[in-house]
Parts: sequence; structure tokens; C-alpha cells
Amino acid sequence: MASEDEINLLVIVVDVNPIWWGQQAQRDPQFTLSKCMDAVMVMGNAHMAMARTNKLAVIASHCQGSHFLYPNKSWSGGDGGGNDASSSGDGKYELLSAANNLIAEEIRNIMSKIEVTGNSTDTLLAGSLAKALCYIHRLTKELEVGQEIKSRILVVKAAEDCALQYMNFMNVIFAAQKQNILIDACVLDSDSGLLQQACDITGGLYLKIPQKVALAQYLLWVFLPDSEQRSQLVLPPPAHVDYRAACFCHRNLIEIGYVCSVCLSIFCNFSPICTTCETAFKIQLPQIVKPKKKKLKQPM
Amino acid sequence: MDEEPERAKRWEGGYERTWEVLKEDESGSLKATVEEILYQSKRKRVIESHGQVRLGMMRHLYVVIDCSRSMEDQDLKPNRLTSTLKLMEAFVDEYFDQNPISQVGIITTKNKRAEKLTDLAVQMYCVCVCLCCFTASPGNPKKHITALMKAVDTVCVGEPSLYNSLNLAIQTLKHMPGHTSREILIILSSLTTCDPANIYELIKTLKSLKVRVSVIGLSAEVRVCTVLTRETGGSYHVILDESHFKELLMLHIKPPPASSSSECSLIRMGFPQHTIASVTDQDAKPSFSMSHLDSSSGPGLSLGGYFCPQCHATYTELPVECKVCGLTLVSAPHLARSFHHLFPLQAFIESPVENLQGDRFCQACQAELKDKSVFSCPSCHSVFCVECDLFIHESLHCCPCCIYRQTAP
Repeated sequence: MASEDEINLLVIVVDVNPIWWGQQAQRDPQFTLSKCMDAVMVMGNAHMAMARTNKLAVIASHCQGSHFLYPNKSWSGGDGGGNDASSSGDGKYELLSAANNLIAEEIRNIMSKIEVTGNSTDTLLAGSLAKALCYIHRLTKELEVGQEIKSRILVVKAAEDCALQYMNFMNVIFAAQKQNILIDACVLDSDSGLLQQACDITGGLYLKIPQKVALAQYLLWVFLPDSEQRSQLVLPPPAHVDYRAACFCHRNLIEIGYVCSVCLSIFCNFSPICTTCETAFKIQLPQIVKPKKKKLKQPM
Repeated sequence: MDEEPERAKRWEGGYERTWEVLKEDESGSLKATVEEILYQSKRKRVIESHGQVRLGMMRHLYVVIDCSRSMEDQDLKPNRLTSTLKLMEAFVDEYFDQNPISQVGIITTKNKRAEKLTDLAVQMYCVCVCLCCFTASPGNPKKHITALMKAVDTVCVGEPSLYNSLNLAIQTLKHMPGHTSREILIILSSLTTCDPANIYELIKTLKSLKVRVSVIGLSAEVRVCTVLTRETGGSYHVILDESHFKELLMLHIKPPPASSSSECSLIRMGFPQHTIASVTDQDAKPSFSMSHLDSSSGPGLSLGGYFCPQCHATYTELPVECKVCGLTLVSAPHLARSFHHLFPLQAFIESPVENLQGDRFCQACQAELKDKSVFSCPSCHSVFCVECDLFIHESLHCCPCCIYRQTAP
């Protein structure tokens, strides 16, 4: 049992790429962004209801920025400010209903106000993960004496990976591993190599959902327990992670490659000049070995 | 013998009136001054980035630990040797974390002799058709940490020998390939050294072999060390107390700038896949891991693991050098760990908080900006608080808001 002083923080990063969700609404009207947000809210409420000291944060990852849905800048900490928002008629715990209302309002604001430029269906998750880490770092610093905090990040991913953010993503993953923060991933559509690596390196769970309409069920069954409880449950097995590197020249995955000793760029073929740092490599010519003259035995 | 003027000693300068730093406010409280001092010390930690300077990423470092009689001195608790070994364990962990494809070896010196505690791993000479290269295999911190833990019981006796320990290090370092950086870090507590030959000749040899020697002194400044570090391009510091010792040790974890004469070459490496097979798979064949050949615990059969792309030998962890075919095996994240040294994050611009229009919230952690200055990123102009600035520069190495504007990987 967790002690009274241990705070469990769950940060949910939701991918709200409007182009992908728009296409999804046309493909399958049963599962839209509002259904997904409902499932996320159920997960958030369940986490907060598990213990009094549990905390929640929700970040929406848009293709042009990432925004905190909960807690918000105008959120005054749970009491005092919300007089009309917090009184829900059905006797629900006020914190949960206030959180739900806030999340719903914020996501409505974001989707309606932000103009979408370009038509990329890639999501830039690295920025949202970086903000999540900064938020966790701030809460860790604000702890009182004697309190401990354990944090994890749950990523709900919809659209495909963006290959441009590889380096930022890896920096974020290593920072999370250093701070012992787990990154779990719940993938709706296409497999993501970056998230598989993130889950493998930080020790989290990666799951690609077979049925999108059952999102709430998967979130509650697989991702709600924290790391201590997971050892006692039978959870989906770890995915096969492809740690092969992509060569800088063709972006193919290679098994054996050449690495520049100065800038660590990876190439599939040997070339005399590194294209990234423009250093000329020293090539040692092979030693010329004179073939030994063998005395042939004269046949008698 | 040395033409460069030495820097002025502390007693040659004027008096520092350290008591004038503390100023009381109207109510007699020192809180504002204390906060100011803490703030300055936080800012000091954000060191300027080197920019596009070439760094030596593949490092071969020898650490020489003095085990002479002066290490039994109790000015560091419980005694200097125990304190040094404890800090070295933390150093080795952090070193392999920041430099995953580098090597470290430990040498101890006492009784006028030097001996190796742990070695840089064995090198393999691998010849292929068009290029000859030496490779040294990547390292594993566990071996060094076990050796350090056992060394706590050594008896400190006699005098150290700088010449012998440097000589011992050179024997291995001179065979290392030219594109790696060769470094020696000496932790010297004694004020004397017992050398069989002229150490200035050895300093000339070190310079010609491009070995960089740095010294951390535990007692006082010794002239021979000053000359040694100046000639080879290293740094020399003397500790003030234990936390200063830790700070100085950690300075050596960042890769040093590569000298312009170091060679650059293309190193052949393999990126094995991690296969996880279960007993129910029909194709799964159990295999011995090659890395357990040397260890005393019995070899275990395992179904999964990393398979070398050239010869299909099995290994349980990376990075490792294949014992069968000599190919260095790493995984892409290992190389990615060093990228932040090569593309460092720019320092953020400090500005007073009063100039800020609009909402006063940090864009990374959503906290209200209460400090007297805020930091903004030069490329995307987002505003961050002091804590986030520190965190971003020390751990994250990337600006959370720049990602949405840049297209470079």
C-alpha cells in the first residue's frame, strides 16, 4: 500500500492532430475525438479516485504546439474559483467533475481557435513530452519535506511519427530515464518505432489497440496500475523493438554501417568525406604483400 | 624551462572583503541576500556551450589514483581513500552514461610503483579489404565498480610515483587509434613523487603522443603537476572540500574538445536486433551468450538476445565487441546519447520580468513567473522560468517549443 506521503502523478499526452481526427471521423463515425476524450477523462477520473494523493495532468499535442488541458493557468487549485463549474447535480466528487469540465472546455477552445496551416498528418510528440517533463520537474521541486513523488507519462497516439524529431525525442527519452519516469504508449492506428524505443528504454508498456472503440477498456485494464502493481498482473508482452539505426544518406535501416568518429553520423557505404561534418577520412592503403615464390617440386 | 608566466597566486592579490557581500534589509533579515547567492550559484551551473567545436567522442581515459600514505589523512571523511573511491564509483557510472562508446581504466600507485586495477578492454586488430583499423570494445561499468569497491581495503603505504603510473598508462594508450582521444586523470594527494627518471622527458613524450593529462590535487598545488598539465593541455585543480571534489570530478565527464591534429576515420559498427522469443515459437533456438564465457557464473541458455549481424553470436547486452568476428555492436540509442554534446542547446537570454507583456506564465511548466528575471529562447522567443531553464540545459538538452518551428533532425 502506498504511504500517505507518496504522490502518484499521471500525465496523459493526447494526440489531437486535427487532420488525422478529421479523416478518422469520416472513416469510422463511431470513434471520434470526443469519444477519445471521454475515454481519457474516464482514465483520469479513475486515477484520481484511486488515492487521495494522486495527481493528474493532461496535455493535448497539436501539430502546431502543445497545450495543457488540465491543470490550466486559470485553474486556481481546485477550490474557490469554480462556483458554478463544480456543483454538479449528481453527487460526483467535485474535483473530478471540475476536471472533466475544464478538459472539455479547453479542448473545444483549442480545436476551434487554432488555425491549421499545412496538411501534415504527423504529430510532433517530442515537444509535449518535453513540457510534461518540465511540469513533473516543477512538481518535484515543490514537494514538502518528507513527501515523495512517482510519475509516469501515458501517451495516446493517433497519427504517424514524424522522422524529423528523432534527436529531440531521444533527448527526452534519456531525460525521462534519468529521472525514473515511465513512458507508456497506447497507439490507436499505426505502430510507432520511436514510442517503442521510448517504452523499452524507460521501462513502460507499449500497446497497439486492436479495436479503437474499446479505448476506455484498454486504458483502464492495462495502463491504470502503477509500476509496483504491474509486476503482479499479466499484461501484454513487450513488443519487439527495432534498434537498427537509419543511415543518414538514404534513411534505410541498416544492420552494419560506418560511423564517423567526429560527429557520429551513420552511413551505409564507405565514403571518403562525411557529409554532416565534412571531415575527410584518413584511408590507409592496404599493405602490398609480395606473393612468396614457392619452389615447385620438379616431377621426377 | 617554461616561458609562460604563471598566474598570480591568491596571496598576491588584495584582500577580498567577503563580509561585505551580506547585506541586511530594513527588518534585519538576510533572506534577500541568501536568495541572491543561491540564484547566482544556480546560474553558474549553466556553462556556455562550445558551439561547433569538434569533440572527442570516443575517449580512452586512464584514472590514476594515489594510494600512498597521505591518503590515510582524515580531512575528507572517513579518510581520503574511501571518499575518493566512493566518488569514483559515481564518476564511472556517469561517465558510461554520457560517453557510451568510451573506455576507462584505473591505475593505482603506491610504494614507488604503479599497477593496473582495471584495464581498458582488449583491442582487436581487424583488417578488411580497403581499410585497416584498430577497434577497442565498449565498456561496462560493473567491472570497474566491483574493483573500486574491493580497493577500499588496500593498505596505503609508501610514496606515489608519477613517472611509473604515467608510463604504465602510456604503454596501452599509444596503441589506441588516432581518432580517439587519449586522456589521463590523476588524483594526487601526496606532495612528493618518487621517479626513476627525468619526468620532463616523459612530459615531452606525452606531448608527442597527444595524451592529455589532467590532475586533481587533494593537498596543495605542486609545480610538476602544473607543468605537466600545461604542456599536455589538461587542467589542474586543487580541491577545497568534498563537494568541490565531486564538482571537479564531474567536469571530466563532458567530452573534451578534440585537438585539431586528431585523425578522423569511419568506424565499422553493427546494429543488432533484439529478439525476444518464447518457448512456444517453433524457430526459437536456445543459445549461449558469448559475453558469459569469461564470467565465473555458469553459462546460461537463453532464447532471445542480440545476434551479431555478421556471425550470429549471441549477446545479452550492448554495447559489446563480438568475440567471434570483432565487430563492434552498439544500438542506435547509444550513439544518440552523445548527440547532445555535438549539437548543444544555446544559452537562453535573461531579461527582467517587468518587461514581459501578457500572461506571466512559464511556457514549459505552466508556473507563475515570480522570479525577478525570465529566460527566453533565442530562436522561438518562448519564456521560461529559472528552474525550467536549468532543467532544460542540464537534462533535456532541447527547447520544448522550438520543436514546432524547426525542421532539422
